[in-house]
This record gives sequence, C-alpha cells and structure tokens, in this order.
Amino acid sequence: MNTPTPSAPLLQVLDLKKHFPAGRDFFGRPRQWVRAVEGVSFDVHRGRTLGIVGESGCGKSTTARLLMHLIEPDEGRIRIRGQAFGHGVGRHPLTALRKHMQMVFQDSYASLNPRLTIEDSIAFGPQIHGVAANAARALARDLLDRVGLKPDVFIRRYPHELSGGQRQRVNIARALAIRPEIVILDEAVSALDKSVQAQVLNLLAELKREFDLTYLFISHDLNVVQYVSDEVMVMYLGQVVESGPVAELYSRPLHPYTRALLESVPAQTPGERRQHAVLEGDPPNPIAPPAGCRFHPRCPHAEPVCAQQVPALRRVTGQQVAACHRLQPDSGYSRVITFEELPA
Amino acid sequence: MSHPMVEVRDLRVTFRSEEGPIYAVDGVDLDLAPGETLALLGESGCGKSVTMKSLMRLHPAHKTRIEGSIRIAGEDVLAMNAGALSRLRGKTVAMVFQEPMLAFDPVFTIGEQICEAVRRHEGCSGADARARALEMLERVQIPSARKRLDAYPHEMSGGMRQRAMIALALSCQPKVLLADEPTTALDATVQIQVLLLLKELQREMGMSMIFVTHDVGVAIEVADRTAVMYAGRVIEQGPIDSVMRAPWHPYTQGLLAATVHPGMDRRQALNAIPGSPPQLTRRIPECAFAPRCTLASASCHDPLPPARMDGDRLLRCIQPASAR
Repeated sequence: MNTPTPSAPLLQVLDLKKHFPAGRDFFGRPRQWVRAVEGVSFDVHRGRTLGIVGESGCGKSTTARLLMHLIEPDEGRIRIRGQAFGHGVGRHPLTALRKHMQMVFQDSYASLNPRLTIEDSIAFGPQIHGVAANAARALARDLLDRVGLKPDVFIRRYPHELSGGQRQRVNIARALAIRPEIVILDEAVSALDKSVQAQVLNLLAELKREFDLTYLFISHDLNVVQYVSDEVMVMYLGQVVESGPVAELYSRPLHPYTRALLESVPAQTPGERRQHAVLEGDPPNPIAPPAGCRFHPRCPHAEPVCAQQVPALRRVTGQQVAACHRLQPDSGYSRVITFEELPA
Repeated sequence: MSHPMVEVRDLRVTFRSEEGPIYAVDGVDLDLAPGETLALLGESGCGKSVTMKSLMRLHPAHKTRIEGSIRIAGEDVLAMNAGALSRLRGKTVAMVFQEPMLAFDPVFTIGEQICEAVRRHEGCSGADARARALEMLERVQIPSARKRLDAYPHEMSGGMRQRAMIALALSCQPKVLLADEPTTALDATVQIQVLLLLKELQREMGMSMIFVTHDVGVAIEVADRTAVMYAGRVIEQGPIDSVMRAPWHPYTQGLLAATVHPGMDRRQALNAIPGSPPQLTRRIPECAFAPRCTLASASCHDPLPPARMDGDRLLRCIQPASAR
C-alpha cells in the first residue's frame, strides 16, 4: 500500500481506540475505564472537509488528539497517502506526522505560549522542521499578513494583547507555517462571537483553496458544520453512528440520534419553534456505556435486539453509512425499514 | 401595556478598574410586561450580563457606579437598603446562571440549598421547606427527585444541574426570572429540553422573564420581544418575529447575516461584519457601531440622539427606519 492510487484517501484512520483509566484502587490499578474512543475508522479525501459532530463526551476531541498523537492511541492505525504514521514508525515519528497534519484548538489563549511573541510562536514550528531562523521569521510575517493581521502591528505583540478573533488567526497562521496538508479544526470558531466567527470561517475557506488543504472540522454547531463540510461524521459515546455527504445526511438522516440532534437545533423563525424535545435526559456517561447499541436507552425505536447486539456501521444508501439495527435487514430487528421509508 | 414588571431608565453602569473606568452600560432603557419574555441579545462585552446583574444589584458596590433608575414590581431597586435587597433577591427576582457548577455551593446538597432559600423567604418549617424543594425538583422534571434532594452538585450531569438551578430560582415563586445564558454550556439535545421547560414553567407560574443570550436561534425559541445590545446600549428593540424578519439597525442586520443558517450556500462567503467591537474604556458619545457600519455618514460621528419609537419597534440609529 505504499503507492497510492489516484482515488486513495489522503487520510485513513483505522479502528482507533482509547480507554482512559478512571480512578485507581490501592494498588494503582484502574478501577474503571472511560471508553472515550471505541473503534473509530474513517477516510478523508484530499481537498475535502470532514465535519465531525456530537455532544460532549462523544469522543470527537479525543479522536482529534489521537490523530495528532497528543494522546497515544491504545489501538488503531493512521495512514497518510497510504503511508503509516505514528509511534514505532521511523526515527522521528511525531515530527513526520505533524509535518502533514496540524491542529487549531478551541481555546485561542491557552494554545499560545504567553511568553512568546506572535512572531516567535509562528516561527517556532518551521525551525523545528529545519527552516533557518531568518527564513522562519519571514514566513511568520507573510502568514500573519495572509490571515489578515498587519505584521508591523502584531509581530512583536504577546497573546494577551490580542482579541479572541485575532488570537485564533494567529493559531491558524501557526498551524499553516509547517505547510501541512491536513488541518484539524477542533471547535476552532466556537468561542468566537458570531460576527468574528464569520470572518474566521471566510478566512478558513480562502486558505483551504489557496494552500490546497484538507480539513477535519470538529464542532457542536450543526449549522456551521453543514456550511463548511463535504462529508459529515456523527459520533455518540465514542463511536461513529452515521456518516455521509453533507446534503444527504442533513436532508435525510439515517440514525435516530442524528435525527434527534438535527431536530434539536433552535428554530430560525418564531413560526418554526420546537414544540417538544426529541430526546429525554442527558447523554450517558462513557464510563459504563450501555450494552448493545450505545444509543438504545434514549432511542424511540429501541427493541430488545438493540440492547444485546452492537450494530455495525453499514452502507444504507449511496455514500451514507449508519450503525442502526432498524436499517439492517438481517439484524433481528422486527420492523426493519428501508431508506425510502425514512421521513425526509 | 399594563403596569410594567421591570422598568429600567437610562441605566449607566461604570466599573472602576486599575486601568481606569469601564463604561459597561451606557444609557439602557428596558420595559418588561407581566408574563412577557424579553431576549437580551448581543455578543460578548456588549453589557447584557452587566445589565442583568444590575437588576439584582449583584455587582460589588465598592467598584461599581450604577446610575439611572431600576424599578421592579413598582419598587425602586437602586434605593433599597441591604434588608430590602435580600427580600428582593430570590423572592421577587431570581436568576439562573450559565454555569450551575459555579452558582451552587459545592459543600451543600441541592435540597439543603433550596430549603435555605425557601425558609429564608417564606419563614416556614424545615419539613415544609423540604416538601417544597421536592415539589420543585419534580416540576423541573428531575428523575428520582427524592433521591436527588440529597445529591451534591458534582454528582449531577450538566443538564440535571441546570434543572436544579432552575428549581432553586423558582422555589420562592419569583415574579421575574433573569436567565443569563442558561443553556449555553449544554449540549444541543439537552438545551432544547431546558428551553422548553423554562417556557412551560413561565406560563404555569405567570412569570416575566429576561433571557440573556448571544444565540439568535435560542432567542427565537423563547422570546416574545428582543432587545439587541451593542457596546453598552440597546440599539434595537421590538417583537422577536418582526425584528428577525426585518432588522432595522445595521448591526442587527450584520449579526443576522453573519450567523450561519441551515441550508446556506457554502460556495458563498459569509457576510462578516468587519472589525471588532470597541473598547469601553472611554465613554463613546457617538454611535459605537459607526466605525464598522457600511451605511455610516459624517453625522454618525456626532453624539448619538436618543432612541426613536416607531410603532412597537425601537431604533437607536440616525438613519430613519424607512430608509431600510
């Protein structure tokens, strides 16, 4: 698999897993495990944007950190252009990986070193990757200009002297300084006010075209995800429950959870106000996730089989895949329905 | 309109800071009718939360100057002494905060904290207060409410904690509920549950509500009217449907255009508002939005005249509403 075919995905993620210990007993053995990410696999093609949505605790941010190896995965493989990356691969596995993939975080302040000037923050990465100091500083100026911050004004400033929107522009410039192909945006615009958020979303779209980037866009904001994504992946309690092209997924969601999530988005006009909540209660704790389909205790369509068997992620129609017994003829679910029977 | 439940006139809130004064709220007028819900909409730093906290006088007195007038249920809040204030808080006006984990005391159970408020305001026995606390937890639809009475805040999930916070706020049947971004920290599927719950309880108890939010969709879900704030002023006010359908102020127009709606064409760039809101370290006599406004003319840099009413809408902009 070392020579990628033209249609091969740029990024392949295979069966990513991470369990965190929760509480330890007297002998230091973990009492319980948080099953944060449980077998996540997906592909992203070059130049596309994959949106990842889900509620808190669904594992979307952990997935991002596992991809970057900010957290070590328990299991799973990452391939970029068919080539394996991560621990045990090559002499400097992380340097090699992060040459291809960079990340922008939600908290624009916490993700910058408060003691470094903006220039030093942006120029740091390229120097690690072998760019001479002068060239790295020149690059920092160019990138600052490119993200809409006047280099002469901002280059000597410290993070605390910038607004949230400006700091997020700096974080984007820093991520691009290594010329990655893939940028992970983990709630990167979520903390910004709407008027500033729109500026940064426009900037991200321009940069994507200009630098031929591939995005992983992680967000809880379903409207923004719809606007930026080509494909969308929905996660629930550490697992992918559905994924597919954005238009199809939003117009006819397959999984009951995706449907509930979309129907929870506040109305656009007073005439469309929600009359009742689709789901009761909060997402359960990932420490002891429900057996079978993890969504079954909250699912309006659950049957006994849902509590017993874990549904596999299978293609339902076109490019749309879902993990739901109700859509899989041989699952043992009593009232299996076809895609055509699903309401739009 | 009948006698207003809340009447705010020319409210000015100035904070003293080491770097000099901060003019957080600069001349806000608000009216809230009995049973009405007003959404106070705006971005961070616009003064919406400061306005809310002023209604209950929650700002530290030694570094805050509050001018203007605030009347709640006919009483002058700014003239109140400490005793009158503590009768007001919880009994006449109650508040729900964004982060219930910070608003609750972590060392007392949910039940103890509700009982304390009930006994303080209603002077009833411990058993009666506990019965009320249980009743409130049931009304906010917390499952196994009796068990939850003895739970500590950290033992509950975010959604349940916010329900408990609402139970506490409503335990003495306040006339006015102030909700400061109560669902911002919640997940989408939980947010809609809490919004619907708040509306239902408001109807049942006949309360007035001011709902602070930065989220246009949330404002649309809950509000009868909206007041849009920018840089310490209310720049537009009116019935929520008419403001959302046809915003008058260039800032409101810009805010709605910059918000991503479902089904937007992604090949089209968003209409972002250029620049960012001003620092409030100086008093801004002119329109604070003028530097970012595409319609601004030379006269927009003159001192801003008072708001104009036009039917049930209010506008703080020198360009006439008919020009839009």
